[in-house]
Amino acid sequence: MKKSHLYLVGLAASLAMAGTATQALADDEITRGQLMAASCKACHNAAAADDGVPELNRIPAEVIESQMKAFRDGDRDATIMDRHAKGYTDEEIESMAGYFSRF
Amino acid sequence: MHDFNRRNFLKVAGVSGAAALTGIGCATNGMREAERAHVVVVGGGSGGATAAKYIKQFSPNMRVTLIEPNATYYTCYGSNWVIGGFAGMDDIAQGYDTLRDEYGIEIVQDRVTAVDATARSVRLAGGDSMGYDKLVMSPGIDFRYDDMPGISEADADRIPHAWKAGSQTELLRSQLHSMPNGGVFVMVAPPNPFRCPPGPYERVSLVAHYLKQEKPRSKIIILDPKDGFSKQGLFEEGWAEHYGDMIEWRAGSSGGRAEEIDVSNMTVLADSGFERVRADVLNFIPAQRAGQIAHDVGLTNDAGWVPVDQLTFKSEMDDNIYVLGDASVAGAMPKSGHSANNQGKIVAAAIVRELAGQEPINPSSANTCYSLVTPDYAVSVAAVYQYQDGAQAGVSGAGGVSPSGASASFRRREAGYTRAWYNGITSDIWG
Repeated sequence: MKKSHLYLVGLAASLAMAGTATQALADDEITRGQLMAASCKACHNAAAADDGVPELNRIPAEVIESQMKAFRDGDRDATIMDRHAKGYTDEEIESMAGYFSRF
Repeated sequence: MHDFNRRNFLKVAGVSGAAALTGIGCATNGMREAERAHVVVVGGGSGGATAAKYIKQFSPNMRVTLIEPNATYYTCYGSNWVIGGFAGMDDIAQGYDTLRDEYGIEIVQDRVTAVDATARSVRLAGGDSMGYDKLVMSPGIDFRYDDMPGISEADADRIPHAWKAGSQTELLRSQLHSMPNGGVFVMVAPPNPFRCPPGPYERVSLVAHYLKQEKPRSKIIILDPKDGFSKQGLFEEGWAEHYGDMIEWRAGSSGGRAEEIDVSNMTVLADSGFERVRADVLNFIPAQRAGQIAHDVGLTNDAGWVPVDQLTFKSEMDDNIYVLGDASVAGAMPKSGHSANNQGKIVAAAIVRELAGQEPINPSSANTCYSLVTPDYAVSVAAVYQYQDGAQAGVSGAGGVSPSGASASFRRREAGYTRAWYNGITSDIWG
């Protein structure tokens, strides 16, 4: 079976559903921000924190946002995060940061 | 096996959607139905173990079984540290206790010998069969010994590939330790595509690190069918700085293409027979293809890899089978542990969402790959990927390699992050 793909932005979907009777489903649904945040956690988890890689679950959303934008825009020195941060839009950074702040 | 089929599921989901609209504000039947599904994951490496773990994170009540023949999994990444003599096998050993005890994944230590895609069941070497609603396969690589005259898989106990970590890693390390000072270490590098593109070049770096200390009159020759390789400029910069002329790389177009291996004389024939390179230790890394089970199930293309819908990593050949990791054709994503880890999360989300009647998400994902040139000197390549026009593609403007000419402290920091990366990603996968 081949089906056409809808590229749902999870955040937008959640917002669209907020306030309806489907709230419970929306809360359970995997969002795009959540899935991208999961990608960050490959490196940014408790096991690497002792080696100077910050555990993002412990960082406030506004700090993640400001630092990602600083890496991206060349306002903060880095070995590798500058190269990663250039791959994300403001909206993507905010949706990832917003996910981490739930912990 | 669960009696679950898509048509019934869609019917239930439709009814539940209507129920939700009439104001019944509980989790829908669609979600509950999805939670009764059984996902079987074949292969407990970086891709399979990540998929299993993240399915349980996204949908804790779903039944997930992980089938892996080995009780201990040795990561290929990090295995060059063992060969280089500054890490032990324990440092690259991973197990399944946490996935079983904390995530509720059923661990079956066995080998899948066949898949019946029509009946949706797998057969195990131990004799049992097991049904699935969705099957995830992360079979890794196998080798194409037939592509190289003179050598067969049976010779790997003398001429190790060490490209699947474990006893092969230990064998290559012990051969290196037995090699006389003044000996020649020869690597025959693989053609594209292969697992871990910078891996062969990190390996010779760390072999040189060992030889420089213990057997400094020795020599390393890389016979390469290719005319270039990953992070080439950075490796060559590091080799010149740390190893002088110990490492000689021969490009494919300059006589580097091995044409035959004379196993009994430990000699590689190249350049139309004009070149005979004798080795004291010979590390032949064969050309590669998807793991055998993917071929047996009929999931592979003519090139020997598994074509998938690169948004979800669902096989193009079967609607209930997902294939990820090194075995898959994944666009710009390299065959790396980090790619497999990201793909495991994409597959987990795709399966949970499909079973709940939801469309797939198109996330960004990333690859970070560190290579040690010495234990205190690392270089890296990074990239961000997104599904575009039918394939995983690099996001333009992002990624790239470490700067050339960087300071020793920059290289040292990246060496520290190399170990952090290992600890982080293995915790994300198996911890």
